[in-house]
Amino acid sequence: MTPTDPTTNPTTTKPGAPRLASETWVSTNLPGDHLPENQLRRALRTYAATLAAEHTPPPAAAILFRVERRRRRLAIQRAERPLLIMQTLSIVSAIFAAAWLAYRFAPHTLPTLNPTTLALAVACTTLVLAGCWAMLHASRHPSA
Amino acid sequence: MPSSLDHAASTAAVLSELAFQRLYDANATNIHSYLLAVSARRDVADDLLQETFCRLLLHPKSTAHLDALELRRYLFRIATNLLRDRHRSGDTTPFADPPEPATHPTPDTTLDIARMLSALKPRERELLWLAYVEGMDHAEISAATGLNRLSVRTLLFRARHKAKQFLTPAEGSR
Repeated sequence: MTPTDPTTNPTTTKPGAPRLASETWVSTNLPGDHLPENQLRRALRTYAATLAAEHTPPPAAAILFRVERRRRRLAIQRAERPLLIMQTLSIVSAIFAAAWLAYRFAPHTLPTLNPTTLALAVACTTLVLAGCWAMLHASRHPSA
Repeated sequence: MPSSLDHAASTAAVLSELAFQRLYDANATNIHSYLLAVSARRDVADDLLQETFCRLLLHPKSTAHLDALELRRYLFRIATNLLRDRHRSGDTTPFADPPEPATHPTPDTTLDIARMLSALKPRERELLWLAYVEGMDHAEISAATGLNRLSVRTLLFRARHKAKQFLTPAEGSR
């Protein structure tokens, strides 16, 4: 008997459905196999019943509380999304502004660049970028 | 004084909570046992059960058209996916805290199901449990696990064979 035979398929019956007395699933046993199908089923179901009796699931209220907390977090994330977009745009703008400042106040030929001007431009750019990064970091991790 | 809109909203919330309670009462024990049997850890089973129902509640539109049986399959599908995610993430502590029952009330005391399950692969445990405990047919198991129907048939056959091989010595020693 092959396992593809629907008449001997042990998985086609619902739990609790009326079962014929002759329906023992012995015919689906493999050659040399001494454990009847119904015994495996009975053992697994007994194990399941004992598990269910000894380990009760957590209360539904705990799940509702978890869902509510997650909904709030998602709502906060949704509300903060435009702010995040604006902050990202501000960083990009700051980078372009810093580049323009560096270009505007620095000599156009890099080999003859005034060291003081270059140092100021670099410092300003670093400060702007650090400020943007700190702002982004604070908005993403409010508790930090 | 609450407006009629507030009252309607609160009524709807209470109704949905009641509906959820009914759904939870009908399915939680089965899914919890399934998660316990496959993961073999109480803490993991508790966490994944909560996550399963959380995902259901967070996507109400995708489940609005499902009847009770389809909803049950859907819940098992979520639970199975969560088990696989956990397995993929590397948190596969094998039966560190086996939920082995203290007593076996039936004469089949020699059938050490917990030990047999621990010897099987997670997918084999899933298939055996869904087929024998939940009584699902191949199509339902396919829907609950995401596997191809023919694959379910083959994998279930192998799992059954392995389970019997494991349990037969205990049977013979009686």
